[in-house]
Amino acid sequence: MRKISISDKIGMILFLAPAVILFTVFFVYPVGFILVTSFTEWDGMSSPVFVGLRNYTTIFKDPIFRLAIRNNIGWVIAGGFIQVPLAVIVALMLSKKPFGWKALRTIYYFPNVISTVSLSMMWMAVYNSEYGILNGLLKILGLGHLQRNWLGDLHTAFYSVVLYGVFYIGYFMIILLADISSIPKSYYEAASIDGATKIQQDFYITLPMIKGTIGTCMTVAMVYGLRQFEQTYVMTNGGPANKTMVMVLYLFKKIGDFKYGIADASAVVLLLIGSLVILTVKRIFRTENN
Amino acid sequence: MKNVLMHKVDFKTKAGKVLMWIVLIFFLFYTLMPMVWLVISSLKTNTELMGSPFSLPSKLRFENYANAFKVSGLGILFLNSIIVSLGATFLNIMIASMASFVLSRFEFRFREAIFSLLVIGILVPINSLMVPYVKIINKLGIYDTRFALILVYSAISIPISTFIIRGFMKTIPVELEEAGTIDGCNFYQRFFKIIFPLSRTGIVTAATLQFLYCWNEFIYSMLLTSSQSVRTIQVGIRYFSNQFTTDYTSMYAAIVISIIPSLIGYITFQEQIISGLTSGAVKG
Repeated sequence: MRKISISDKIGMILFLAPAVILFTVFFVYPVGFILVTSFTEWDGMSSPVFVGLRNYTTIFKDPIFRLAIRNNIGWVIAGGFIQVPLAVIVALMLSKKPFGWKALRTIYYFPNVISTVSLSMMWMAVYNSEYGILNGLLKILGLGHLQRNWLGDLHTAFYSVVLYGVFYIGYFMIILLADISSIPKSYYEAASIDGATKIQQDFYITLPMIKGTIGTCMTVAMVYGLRQFEQTYVMTNGGPANKTMVMVLYLFKKIGDFKYGIADASAVVLLLIGSLVILTVKRIFRTENN
Repeated sequence: MKNVLMHKVDFKTKAGKVLMWIVLIFFLFYTLMPMVWLVISSLKTNTELMGSPFSLPSKLRFENYANAFKVSGLGILFLNSIIVSLGATFLNIMIASMASFVLSRFEFRFREAIFSLLVIGILVPINSLMVPYVKIINKLGIYDTRFALILVYSAISIPISTFIIRGFMKTIPVELEEAGTIDGCNFYQRFFKIIFPLSRTGIVTAATLQFLYCWNEFIYSMLLTSSQSVRTIQVGIRYFSNQFTTDYTSMYAAIVISIIPSLIGYITFQEQIISGLTSGAVKG
């Protein structure tokens, strides 16, 4: 270990300070802040009044919040158990380097660089009941009886908001594909000498080797499912009849009502569920080396 | 990697190939079709759109694009987004690379503790911190300014940027820096003249991801600004349906315009984005 001179020490403190200060102000303090104020009643102006667990009992009795939690679980499942597995399948396919795989990789990633708001506006046009492409497609296919107002219908609104993004697999596919290409080629050569087919190689070599990365992708997808806001806010604003409500939108609406204590209690619930999801996935996908 | 038993499983392989292409083409269509449809629709008249959503326009209506700029005030929205995104990218990258320099090139107590704490920040659901952010910004007296957004975006991305840049700086050989010390470079010169330029690949990666994040961010832009003069493009898009009311095709033109910068940025910096995603997730 090299001895650090005094002037270097001063430099180190100066260089580290901005990051540490901003991190403290925008991460540490806010998390502490919502933990404390979730036990108070306040409107953002007057000083908070301690009310114990009342905010928590209020939100858990609120059927809208319960519906929001249920919907968030739907989001988490769609991200972790549909989107990521689809990404794994496509990554396995592209790892064989079929014709045009680089172009496909580039195109599949397009939706990830477009803002969620723009994509949501685009899909509102797709789902539009009068001139949308989805109803138009159903008509052409002779399935006209299935036509409906997708985002206004109580039965289809939630699925319409959630599902369009599930098939945008580019982000996870790129991460998985990079991990697959880092597996030593010799493993596959040995396997094919032993007579393993490509599918067997996928199952017995590739998948176990990328297990850790699949876990990371699932964590990211699930955390995204929990903090989801833009899609719902833009496409339905929680409606019809709160059918598409999610926790962050609930929190947002409580801020609008100046019920800051309740907003912070729901933020704490969100943080707790988030930590739980992360720890569970970590545990399931723990690999030998970490 | 050629399978030596290929001839035995010929039929199976063929069926597999067909299946594979069905899947790949499905995702290709799914990704492109709505976008292509949006572009085509943005070049039609509203009557054409209502009458036959799938048909090609009888004549390309570029006036929809001129109209989009006029009705939505896209010019100012664009300008604000550019100022905020560039400002927040510059500030974030400076702060993160300075911290990365200390966290990667020196050994001291609490180094790993500080780094781990910073990295946990990547997984915090940032949307849950709306109330404290509003309060902090109000306390600082910068509510409804572009600087509020620059500050918040710079802070939010410190964990991810530090993670990427530090990973890169760690790979620079110590000898290069020691040579600098012998030549009489002090702490700051070693950073600005040696380490920072040598880390540019990692820095460009982090900067590209940060720029895209800032350009596309919505919730805090909506929450922390209120006047039209500082509004960013994403918040602007949200109001398109009110502004354009029944002029759908001009609205589509405006959405297309808002998407173009992201796509150009992506295509230009594709390699960096892909390597950033890879280093960001695989090592984590």
